[in-house]
Amino acid sequence: MTLADYMTVSALLFLIGVFGALTRRNIIGILMSIELMFNAANLNLAAFDRFLHPEGLIGQALAVFVITVAAAEIVVGLALLLAIYRNTDTTYVEDFHLLKG
Amino acid sequence: MIEYAWLIPLIPVAASLIILFGAKEDPRSPLPWIGIGAMTVCLALAVSILWGFVSGGVALPYEKNWDWFSLATTIGGQSFVWTMPVGVLIDPPAAVLLFVVSLVSLMVQVYSIAYMHDDTRYKRYFAFVSFFTAAMLGLVVSSNILVGFMCWELMGLTSYLLIGFWFEREGPCEAQKKAFMTTKLGDSGLYLALLLLYAKTGTFQLTQLHQHFALGLVAPAAATVAAIGILLGAMGKSAQAPLMVWLPDAMEGPTPGSALIHAATMVAAGILVVSKLYFVFLAAPLAMEAAAWIGLITAFMAAAMALVSFDIKRVLAFSTVSQLGFMLCALGCGGYTAGLFHLTTHAFFKALLFLGAGSVIHSVHTNDMRQMGGLSRRMLLTFATMTVAVLAICGVWPFAGFYSKDMILVAAWNHEKWIFWPLLLTALMTAFYMTRLLTLTFLGDDRDHERFHHAHESPALITAPLLVLAFFSLTAGMAVAHDGLAARLFPKPTLSVAADAAAATPSASVAASAANNPQVQTPDAEQELPDWLKFGIPGVFVPGAMLLAFFMYRGPKFEAAEGLRSAFAPIATLLDRRWYLDDAFLALVAFCDGVAALAFWIDANIVDRVFVDGWGLLMRIIAEISSFFDGAFVDAAVDGVGGLSTDLGVGLRSLVAEGQVQEYMMYAAIAVSLAATLILTR
Amino acid sequence: MLEHFVFYSLAAVVLLSALAVVTLKNTVHSSLMLGLSLAGVAGLYAALGADFLFAAQIMVYVSGIAVLVMFVVMLLGRASDLHLRQVNEYWVAALAVCGVAGVGLLRLAGARSGTLSAAPAHPATQALGRLFLGEYLLPFELVSLLLLAALLGAVFFTHKESAS
Repeated sequence: MTLADYMTVSALLFLIGVFGALTRRNIIGILMSIELMFNAANLNLAAFDRFLHPEGLIGQALAVFVITVAAAEIVVGLALLLAIYRNTDTTYVEDFHLLKG
Repeated sequence: MIEYAWLIPLIPVAASLIILFGAKEDPRSPLPWIGIGAMTVCLALAVSILWGFVSGGVALPYEKNWDWFSLATTIGGQSFVWTMPVGVLIDPPAAVLLFVVSLVSLMVQVYSIAYMHDDTRYKRYFAFVSFFTAAMLGLVVSSNILVGFMCWELMGLTSYLLIGFWFEREGPCEAQKKAFMTTKLGDSGLYLALLLLYAKTGTFQLTQLHQHFALGLVAPAAATVAAIGILLGAMGKSAQAPLMVWLPDAMEGPTPGSALIHAATMVAAGILVVSKLYFVFLAAPLAMEAAAWIGLITAFMAAAMALVSFDIKRVLAFSTVSQLGFMLCALGCGGYTAGLFHLTTHAFFKALLFLGAGSVIHSVHTNDMRQMGGLSRRMLLTFATMTVAVLAICGVWPFAGFYSKDMILVAAWNHEKWIFWPLLLTALMTAFYMTRLLTLTFLGDDRDHERFHHAHESPALITAPLLVLAFFSLTAGMAVAHDGLAARLFPKPTLSVAADAAAATPSASVAASAANNPQVQTPDAEQELPDWLKFGIPGVFVPGAMLLAFFMYRGPKFEAAEGLRSAFAPIATLLDRRWYLDDAFLALVAFCDGVAALAFWIDANIVDRVFVDGWGLLMRIIAEISSFFDGAFVDAAVDGVGGLSTDLGVGLRSLVAEGQVQEYMMYAAIAVSLAATLILTR
Repeated sequence: MLEHFVFYSLAAVVLLSALAVVTLKNTVHSSLMLGLSLAGVAGLYAALGADFLFAAQIMVYVSGIAVLVMFVVMLLGRASDLHLRQVNEYWVAALAVCGVAGVGLLRLAGARSGTLSAAPAHPATQALGRLFLGEYLLPFELVSLLLLAALLGAVFFTHKESAS
């Protein structure tokens, strides 16, 4: 397999994530789409590490960091979602317009 | 002792401060004795220096400098350290003057203990006198002419304070203002002259200035301007024509203070500064000539005024002005030695005259000589000492004035016959009016019986200084004129480098040769007076003038004098009005006032109206036009742009912004995807 | 051959389940599909020979995040959600955006079509451990600090509201 195959899979996964983030009404759906994008990025990192710089493991190390940050992100995001849900009684983003001018 | 010379001006300053702040004002305060003690110390120092020089033990001139302050500066990329030295410079004249000033000041202070007793500001008076003396001593010893100028101005201040000592009365108030402002007029000239000298030489040190002049480094024009400025200062301080108007009014102060002003400090300072900066005059013959003529005119005018005055202190004041004129004339004629010699002798007998007059006034409580007369029978000691002083000032052999005045006349004779003859006439007038004063006061009949009966001899504290001063009036001339001592004490400065170097290293041989041959210091040959003048003046002319005065004013009514007075009424009025100099000054002031009023009118009615108001109107019109344009065009444009932006913003917002996060994400995604694709696929 | 089979099947699983995540109406199904997709990515890591990433992906994403998401979906989900539209009206625009971005990304990927693996895969766990406790110690510790902060933040946000 070539790097192009992995990059293609990663690009498609990323695009699916973008599509989901742009279209899902439910905020949980948006968070999940963001996770998909993270995974696409990580897949790219792992592929670059394997195909371009196998000796350094830098890509893998960076992917580990991204995983960690993503975990933190999803945890805080879900906590915020819970807090917002308690206040507004909804999970649909079009109802979140407290800051609308 | 000479290494302690720098203490001389500081001791009386300290004494003055102690007296002034030491205790509360008290008519019986013992503090004035501190001033007397301080002056005694100064006198002891001065005597030791002078005696050391005369006996050959001390080499003069003595100079010692310290750095006052220094500044680092950069001129044209080069660094300089600019230092202002301060120090003492005691040349032989300074040594003499130290002695004279401290002696006269001491005598005045002792005298004042009795004279000023029970005055409400008894203590303050002594503080002023001490400070006054300190300033004069500072001017005498300072090696830095700028410091000297400061002392000079301090003297101006203290003279102001002393003249206006009884400031409750209107007379002293006016007199002190007059004195202060008139002398300031002269001081400005001196100040500018010093600045010019500094600009040309870069130093205020007298010795260095002298060297610059000796080496011919100063252009004659600059020297002339500087010399005229110095002369102006001397004219103000030493009351020379036409700035002499302040001195007669200065009589409003306490009489011992007047004695100090007239004898030792204030007016002597002008002559002293001219003598200290004599090398400037040597480089400026024009200024020398001016000094001689101003001195002559002053001497004559003042003597003429003294002829007709009946106020004993005013006669003495005019006499001072006249004698100062003699000195300035002598200096101007090149008679440096004569001028300073006369300054010294004059200090003794003028102090004596003032103190004696004070004693008389103290006794009879009036200044008017017409109400005196015959006082010799009541105040024998005062009369005797006054007689010595009068004989001295008249120039009767062997009193002090004879030698110095003779020397001045010789200097004038050698310089210019047109100066000599009026000067001789003035000298005879001096003899006349001084004898007139003596006769009116002490001789003849008592014209005011009540005052006569109340008159009494003054206490010992008053007569003792009179006796001391009488001793010096009698002997100073003889002692100094003896064996060429005068030329040694007052060596004329020269502009010759060699002679200057010789004078700078006064070895015993140089001093001896100078003593044997006074002409060493004055290259131009001195001529003696013709014999008939040399012996005629003291032998015939002066006694004649004195006898004339004696006989004219001996009687109770002095009809002869009054007859002369009415015969020459215009002249008498002219003299009584003091040559209309006061009126001239007042007219000058009134004229300036008028010019100022005219200028003010022009300013208020033409300049203000046309330029200020008109300009304002023009500006207002321009402003109105500008305001119109601003409102109609500029503001409209600004408002238009602002309104357009607002409308655009509102429209765009209503178009796109619904507060939906995904909408914003969409815009971001569109932008990023387009940009990224464009960049990646390029 | 086996390699190709593994890769393509894993890619199909990943992409199809991802599509299901963003398109399914039922959020619970979406979250299940998310877990499947993440597991597929883990398989791709394995195919790449990244053993530690494989393990981390399984432990953090599949068994951590996916379960957490599912948990929240069940906590917040309502029966009415099933009758509501889950996709908003921007989907056409989003498709267009994805198409434009896809052209760029795929061209970028196409440029690498000749790049083969530079070296055979070998176990990376031990090396990564040395890296994290050696050269990358500071970022490693910072990340742990970040996790702690996230933990505290989550507790703070949820706990405070429940108290009120």
